[in-house]
Amino acid sequence: MAHRWGMVIDLDRCTGCEACVAACHAENNIATVDAAQAANGRTMHWIHVERYWEGEFPNVRARFQPVLCQQCDAAPCEPVCPTYASYHNSDGLNAQVYNRCIGTFYCADACPYTARYFNWFNPVWDKPLNLQLNPDVSVRGVGVMEKCTFCIQRITAAEIQAKAENRDVKDGEVKPACVQSCPTAAMVFGDLEDPSSQVSRLAGSMRATTLLAEVGTFPKVIYLERESSHANE
Amino acid sequence: MKRRTFLKLSTVGGAGAALAGCGEQTNQLIRFIPDETLVPGVATWRPGICTLCPAGCGLQVRIMEGDAEVIRNGQAGVVKMGLAKKLEGNPQHPVNHGTLCARGQAGLQVTFNPDRVRHPLKRVGPRGSGKFAEISWDEALQELLTHLSPLASPGSAHSMAFLAGPLRGQRRVLIERFLSAFGAAQFVPFELFDDSVLRAANQLSFGRDQLPTFDLAESNFVMSFGADFLGTWNSPMAQSVAYGIMRRNRPGARGKFVQVESRMSQTGANADEWIPAHPGTEGQLALGIAHIILSEHHRSPEAAGAAGSRIEGWHNGLPEYSPEAVAWKTGVPPQTIMRLAREMAVQTPAVAIVGGAPLAQTNGLFTALAINALNALLGGVGKPGGLQFTPRPPLPGHGSSETNSKGLTGTSVRSLAQHILSGQARTVESLLLYEANPVFATPATWHVKEALESVPFIASLGHFIDETSVLADLILPDHSYLESWMDDVPESGTTAAVVSVAPPAMHPLHNTRAMPDVLLDVAHRLGGRASQALPWKSYEEMLQAALAPLAHSPSSITASSPDDFWTKVKDQGGWWSAKGSAAPERESAAHAVPALKNEEAQFDGPAPGYPFYFLPYASQQFFDGRHANLPWMQELPEVLSTGMWGTWVEINPQTAATLKIEQGDLLEVASRHGSVRAPALLSPGIAPDVVAMPVGQGHVEYGRYASGRGANPIKILAPDVERTTGSLAWAGTRVSVAKAGTGELILLSGGPTKWSQERVRR
Amino acid sequence: MAAALVIVASLCGVRAVRGQTFLILAAGAEPGAGPGVPPDSSVFTPAHRSFLDAVKEYFGIQSTPVQPIAFTHKIHLQNGLQCTNCHAGVTQGPNAGYPSITFCMACHQAIAADKPEIKKLTAYAANGQEPPWQRVYWFYPTAHVRFQHAPHIRNDIACEQCHGDLAQQTVAVKTKNLNMNFCLTCHKAKGVSVDCMTCHY
Repeated sequence: MAHRWGMVIDLDRCTGCEACVAACHAENNIATVDAAQAANGRTMHWIHVERYWEGEFPNVRARFQPVLCQQCDAAPCEPVCPTYASYHNSDGLNAQVYNRCIGTFYCADACPYTARYFNWFNPVWDKPLNLQLNPDVSVRGVGVMEKCTFCIQRITAAEIQAKAENRDVKDGEVKPACVQSCPTAAMVFGDLEDPSSQVSRLAGSMRATTLLAEVGTFPKVIYLERESSHANE
Repeated sequence: MKRRTFLKLSTVGGAGAALAGCGEQTNQLIRFIPDETLVPGVATWRPGICTLCPAGCGLQVRIMEGDAEVIRNGQAGVVKMGLAKKLEGNPQHPVNHGTLCARGQAGLQVTFNPDRVRHPLKRVGPRGSGKFAEISWDEALQELLTHLSPLASPGSAHSMAFLAGPLRGQRRVLIERFLSAFGAAQFVPFELFDDSVLRAANQLSFGRDQLPTFDLAESNFVMSFGADFLGTWNSPMAQSVAYGIMRRNRPGARGKFVQVESRMSQTGANADEWIPAHPGTEGQLALGIAHIILSEHHRSPEAAGAAGSRIEGWHNGLPEYSPEAVAWKTGVPPQTIMRLAREMAVQTPAVAIVGGAPLAQTNGLFTALAINALNALLGGVGKPGGLQFTPRPPLPGHGSSETNSKGLTGTSVRSLAQHILSGQARTVESLLLYEANPVFATPATWHVKEALESVPFIASLGHFIDETSVLADLILPDHSYLESWMDDVPESGTTAAVVSVAPPAMHPLHNTRAMPDVLLDVAHRLGGRASQALPWKSYEEMLQAALAPLAHSPSSITASSPDDFWTKVKDQGGWWSAKGSAAPERESAAHAVPALKNEEAQFDGPAPGYPFYFLPYASQQFFDGRHANLPWMQELPEVLSTGMWGTWVEINPQTAATLKIEQGDLLEVASRHGSVRAPALLSPGIAPDVVAMPVGQGHVEYGRYASGRGANPIKILAPDVERTTGSLAWAGTRVSVAKAGTGELILLSGGPTKWSQERVRR
Repeated sequence: MAAALVIVASLCGVRAVRGQTFLILAAGAEPGAGPGVPPDSSVFTPAHRSFLDAVKEYFGIQSTPVQPIAFTHKIHLQNGLQCTNCHAGVTQGPNAGYPSITFCMACHQAIAADKPEIKKLTAYAANGQEPPWQRVYWFYPTAHVRFQHAPHIRNDIACEQCHGDLAQQTVAVKTKNLNMNFCLTCHKAKGVSVDCMTCHY
């Protein structure tokens, strides 16, 4: 049975601690570039926390929003790829096939969320830092576009396990690295196809929105708006 | 011909054919026989304990088989071994409940860091040159014994000192016992953000020399005075888990959160109300709130008990702290003070938190006592939704009669340095160093480096060379925390008594030895009192013996035998009791301590020449600087500035405009004691009379990722300390700011000069 | 042809990494993934070590491995051993694995101890070493294949379907070309997923 994997991020819980960012680097073999390349904007944060300042001192406010690949149902990155490296799979994931990618950059240009990252160089790990690499995830080389996969390796592992036990994947069984690390339980992952899943129930919240909804990408990452109970506004 | 084949053939013609079929052994490296058998590609999970900050979170370490390059008997080769691939929180652990912060996640890069000391080293160049030669463990231990043996004789005139980070649990017991074997030995604990002011205040207010635990999950109103409790302060994971529950897990109830600080922290950004008060006036603001609560008869002064008695004028209703008076001092409007007081009194349970910069002032203790009194007045001390204390486990050495923070003859780094430099010749003959870097994290005016340079013999037991251990004559490298037997007794963050224990999650990568085992070995070789004090053959044996009494205390573990108990403790990652708060011991606190008068914070540097309050803050990436050698942390964008790979000076845009400073300009920040340079970061979340810098960069000697990067704000601080406790008043310096050229600022978003033009939300 | 040469040439470039030179060409080397890792280097990178390596990979050329010991699958299978006795990982996880020398020596301490190949084995064990077994079947890291043995075994895919009849082989040789066509033919026939993300991530 096909799933429709999705994520809900409750911005009223998110504290901007960035545990998700570090967890993602560790889980997905994301290379660090260095200071010089970071200055060129070549870091690869599959998930990063956007910070929006509002107002001026002293009535200033900062809002945080973790932004990752929104796994859009109508993904602008997919139709532009000349090699079909970027495509939509039956579980609704925006897949990125590294083997096919020839680095045209079209997908990154098309993505309104700047969620795609290009390997400008072959990544380098000073030994023995390479021993931290997760064998469940491939190491991407130069010229390849990469992005959040919703931790496909964890989804696959759960599906294989479920099949071995002759059952369906349970709600909450798959936790991408970011979701698992989140201290305030701001992130919830699950099957949007299953109306009883936690993620489906939260997606029906009054506070549910999507990022850049007007672009019409129909993301499967749903944000729950931060509550405003500001006494002195 | 298929298109694919055609392309391939046409590319290089038939050249490929010539390459085929030549037989070769592609991997000629020697393979050693592995010490353990794991199913390849299948992960196993082993418990661990995070040591990256003092919170004491429990870990689950994901272990998978991999090929490690190792050296065995001088021969380089490859061995299959279980390697840590991912760190997660231990879901059973009462502190972090399965979660783990960014710094904790990056702990893998401590173990696999290329700059770890891989074998014992002896200094060969001049002291501090960083020139070391590899020696064997036997040679290293012999060298250490040569220096320690004379000091172990009872009549020795010379003494030794043990300078270490904040150690808890059996490591602390071990070091105290080890030192007891020496004629004159002193334990010198050092930590930059040591919170000792708060411990002292809690002792006075509540009779607990301990950091507090906040039951945020049940709170309806949280007011934090400067505490970055969701980021770097106290037990951030425990507090974040509870914060999530407070905000959204209780249908119909969403706790309100107010933050008081002069520079918006990651925690402050989440507040419903963010209140910038003048630095050093937080205590007065708390008493201003208490004044309203008392004068409007929401509570009676007696409700605060001993904690209230610590404040002069408490029982008269705090007449000095009228809203107008407090508003004038703090810069917070009187209406706000009154409104907050009423909300706090009504929206119970309410709790006040204090930590960080407000306590790093010369009047820190007064501030802490004021907020303690407010908490006591609100009635939440020891109650659900309020301030609680983690009970101490029923172990010898952890009883309530003894304290967590004081060693045998504990002395501060500052007084040690003064002592050495005062010319009392050679009172400290040998110094052992473990996981503390005071040369980096103390003001230049404390002269710690100069003092240590004149100590005749220094041995480091740590696993990195940093600004302090580079001065060592001998380095006996420790295992990483994933390779050692670990134990910990978290000081706060839970209402269960916790003793975390974890066996090594993986075999050691390098020719290192665990610090406790080295000390046990040294004690054994010293003989006499040392070996009597430390009879155990290994640290594992010591741990098992120490924890055995716990088998009889109620906990989640039911065991049939002592061995069964030990196995279960190891599997679970520790021992913990059922949840329940330790009641504050008010009676013991009721000794006649005079009530404190209102104290103003004293700032170093006259306002005319040094117009800005200088706020160094615990960095989201590097905490107190110890994580600057982890590339993941260097490339983690600090969430408010989005800065990476560097340091910056946060300055209010209006102030910057007045000074004609633009984003990215190189600024010279000068105190009376020195100056640092860093690029300007225009941030709307900082008061116009404050400039702030993250702590952690500016290392000179800390491996390839940290060295020579950014600037260290601690160096220019005034030597001032909090008056009563003597801990560094790191937020008590004033500085001047001047443009000094063009700097480089590496930001994730916004570009170097576009903070105001960033993508606008939807 | 000229255009293709230009493409290859443009992909190639030499980048100095901490004093060592690597060819910039999309490539991958991973922990335990066989060739590609420069063992003498102080850094790990998925870059190819040489242009020759890059060309070989482009053409999918995998050299015939030379085993340190002429291990014969035939004899072991004849004597009643099962594949899973030694390659125990297949039923549990992604990798088949091979046993440590201590496992070999459990039998060969006594059995056939005087044979020349077994003497080699004994010598390795005496030195505290493993024989440097060479992989016979492997994917280039740039294939980004995350193959999982266990689900195939659970679905009764016999070992010989992909690895040939080892009972007829002395030293294992590669008898099947495990390219994507090979995988997909079977996946299609059995009606299981042919989604890219099933294997490539």
